Amino acid sequence: MEDIVVEVRNLQKAFKRADGTPVKAIDDVSLSVRSGECIVLLGPSGCGKTTLLRSIAGLEKPDAGEILIGGETMFSGAQRLEVPAQNRDLSMIFQSYALWPHMTAFDNVAFPLRSRKTPKEEVVERVNQTLALVGVTELAGQHPSDMSGGQQQRVALARALVAGDNLILLDEPLSNVDAKVRDQLRRELVEMQQELNFSAIYVTHDQIEAMELADRIAVMDLGKIVQLGSPREIYEKPSSRYVANFVGTVNELPGTVASISLDGSVAVTTQLGTVYVTNEEYLTKGSNTVLSFRPERCSISSQPVDGNLNFPGTVKRSTFFGSNTEHHIEISEQLDIVVWQVDSKQLDHQRDVWVTVEHGDIRALPFGEDENLNECN
Amino acid sequence: MIEANAVVAQEVHSDRHGVRALGARFTPFQIFSLLVGFGTASLILYPFFLVLVRLFWVDGSFNIEPFRNVLQLPNLGQLIFNTFTLVIAGGGIALLVGFVLAWLNERTDARIGALSDILPLLPFVMPVIAATAGWVIIGAPRAGYLNYYIRAVLDLVGIHLKQGPFDIFTWYGLIFVYALYLIPYPYLLISAGLRNLDPSLEEQARVCGAGLWKTLRKVTLPNVWPSIAGSALIVATIGFAMISVPILIGTGAGIQVISTRIVRLLNFTYPAKMAEAIGLSLIVLIVLIGIWRLQARLIKGGRFATIGGRAARGRRIELGRWRWVARSVTFGYVFFALIAPLYGLLITSLNGFWTPKTRWGELTLEHFRTVLWLDHKTRESLFNSVYLGLIGATIGMIIAATISSYVQRSTGKVSVFIDGVAKLPAAVSGLILAIGFILAFAGPPFRLHGTMLILLLAFLATHMPSGSIAADGAASQVGHSLMEASYVSGASESRTFWKINMPLMLPGLVAGWSLLFVRYAGDFQASALLSGTTNQTAGKKIIEIYEMGSFAYLAALAMGLTAITGTVIAVVFALTRKRSSISAL
Repeated sequence: MEDIVVEVRNLQKAFKRADGTPVKAIDDVSLSVRSGECIVLLGPSGCGKTTLLRSIAGLEKPDAGEILIGGETMFSGAQRLEVPAQNRDLSMIFQSYALWPHMTAFDNVAFPLRSRKTPKEEVVERVNQTLALVGVTELAGQHPSDMSGGQQQRVALARALVAGDNLILLDEPLSNVDAKVRDQLRRELVEMQQELNFSAIYVTHDQIEAMELADRIAVMDLGKIVQLGSPREIYEKPSSRYVANFVGTVNELPGTVASISLDGSVAVTTQLGTVYVTNEEYLTKGSNTVLSFRPERCSISSQPVDGNLNFPGTVKRSTFFGSNTEHHIEISEQLDIVVWQVDSKQLDHQRDVWVTVEHGDIRALPFGEDENLNECN
Repeated sequence: MIEANAVVAQEVHSDRHGVRALGARFTPFQIFSLLVGFGTASLILYPFFLVLVRLFWVDGSFNIEPFRNVLQLPNLGQLIFNTFTLVIAGGGIALLVGFVLAWLNERTDARIGALSDILPLLPFVMPVIAATAGWVIIGAPRAGYLNYYIRAVLDLVGIHLKQGPFDIFTWYGLIFVYALYLIPYPYLLISAGLRNLDPSLEEQARVCGAGLWKTLRKVTLPNVWPSIAGSALIVATIGFAMISVPILIGTGAGIQVISTRIVRLLNFTYPAKMAEAIGLSLIVLIVLIGIWRLQARLIKGGRFATIGGRAARGRRIELGRWRWVARSVTFGYVFFALIAPLYGLLITSLNGFWTPKTRWGELTLEHFRTVLWLDHKTRESLFNSVYLGLIGATIGMIIAATISSYVQRSTGKVSVFIDGVAKLPAAVSGLILAIGFILAFAGPPFRLHGTMLILLLAFLATHMPSGSIAADGAASQVGHSLMEASYVSGASESRTFWKINMPLMLPGLVAGWSLLFVRYAGDFQASALLSGTTNQTAGKKIIEIYEMGSFAYLAALAMGLTAITGTVIAVVFALTRKRSSISAL
């Protein structure tokens, strides 16, 4: 059994709004982080990912549950125990970098070591090593206000790495940086994590970051983890409409379950006729469902393809995006299908085409009565 | 969160972890902060409480006799009318001018760079008592310098006046000086409010074609309403509590106000009139509470737009030719508030006589020497004031910094309580507190009557709000994430405070210290009641000299006091400039 670095059990935390109504920021969350793993907490603003991260750090106090780091209890609601943030063996990188403006980069990075009463020579050696590791040796004597955003983030990273903690928490560290710098820093983060083999919990709302960095992604919504899995699992086998829509784009065709046969295939009645799918979650006869499939799994064809699900339609819009072309095909008044194709040919407006997709790429997901097709809650 | 019962931390794991039971946060540093907080709270609440008790509880029994006596004071109606008129008129003008100055400097290109930041604060350098003395000297109908020079100019045009044209010892003179020394407060507050206002609101209005005045009326004004309302409250509070201006100018004009009456009741009658004095100040307190509630309701009712997203500075309104007109408004303010009275004091002290016909060839520093050095009583009063200023401001700022940091770190009832009490003296007239101090500490068991200590304690309590507000501003420079980054790096609360909070707060604290120093050194409110022959302060001495009528003396002492406060501030300012500036992040 691999080492479990962080264990969260049944964590709860509620906040009170200004008018007194309670808001559940963390709603019975359980999670384990293995040694050397990078878990990404992914979700929109307000889903509780930052609160969860801060609770693990010790900057927020949960209402109930347990948090263990390295096998030792850091928080326990039942035992009424709390270890303050300064005594937990972890580091954190903040969204705003949180570099101390009155100290040089060197002093910023040295601070964690000096707080642990590390001898002077060792401090100098380790700080210089870490500054070199992140590539900012020449900035050692400068103040944060004299650095660019990317440079500041590297210093923040150095500060988090210098003490050699096995666990690093990252709170949307790349959101304040431009796109190009973000890509580069992201790549370096991945490399560094693999090289130094620390465990990381990374919070973001950006699914691209999540895909690149994560060993596992925890998709969160309204204080709960709605799905936990590898990037591939999350993307190809989303467990709900929410997850499917949050990670990437997805086409949706609503319908009702007509029957479920013993071999697992499901007949779904849709406005375009009966569709047979094999991938389904939580469906029963008569329940509402949504058939979802990814744009890149669809193809444009002049004829229907045998064995596939085919939709006749007309081209509404065709946009060139550089690496791919996006086609909006109107199937009916209520239904457009988005298709991504690698070839750069744009299709003529109003042209009649067939959209075709393999049955194996279609997933039937639950669709609540109170849900709207155009919203995703 | 603090729990009443101190639960001892359970050492479940190794010492390094310092595991503790939920709810107990009694680190030594936390205890220190709490001690300071509660100590200050006691210092403020105990005298205040005694005052309230004394009003209704005479000789061990409930008695509203003293309160009834208040209502039977001669000329009570006149007194109240005078006071309210002064505060409303003076305060109203101060609000208007303060708003204009703030708007000109924050929203238009009438700014003159860094100078615009300093200019409105310059008058703070001079203690109000000194400045008022200066105004007496330049504004008196016959011997006033300003009048003399104006008459000289009018002579050239063929208009000959025997006196005037202005007379400081009138209603308008009094209102003018009141307004002059209330202006800085709305200026500062409204400036801050304008700075926080989303500039895109105004730009939007201008894009839609709204002219300058319309934008101002419909967009700017409604949204700075909280700052204006807050300024009104501060102006009213300070206005009601002002003593130096009504004593020096009001008596000459025959206008008595509540504060001067209180001083008279306490200084010229035996303690029997204490209750009436308290009763009078409570009238003020009730009015202030009323204004406070009104302000709170006004703010609740509206929707106010604050800065959205990144703090972007909007484009400033270009005034073109009007720029210099606008700048002259600011210069004019500094001239009237600082330069004119200072000039009066300076010339008079160099002259040795209060006469507008300055004997330019005979100016000498000799009179300074006589008054400030040879007269040991005056020397002593000046020394006492400076001494109190240096020590008191330092202790006061340390207390304020500790409280502000504590409040910033913790939420909860204790935190709100301590923060509120630190600001309470602002709502309570300095006179009420001074009375409270007499009741609390002058007699047994403390017997601090006539000591420097009682003055120090009274100053600490009375001026705590200024220090507290400055410290709050300094503390807010230290963002939460900076402190959290420190905790996560393994530093304790104490280490975080000394290594992170304090260095970042220092510039703000030093600025607060300077203002506090001026208040302590130039104090008159607490001094009026607590300062006697054994613990003379400069402020008290100035009043004594005024009542004896020797103006040259007065000018020299006021000048000496201003010179000292001015020098201290200049030195502090120069020192903080030299340090590596921490650019605003």
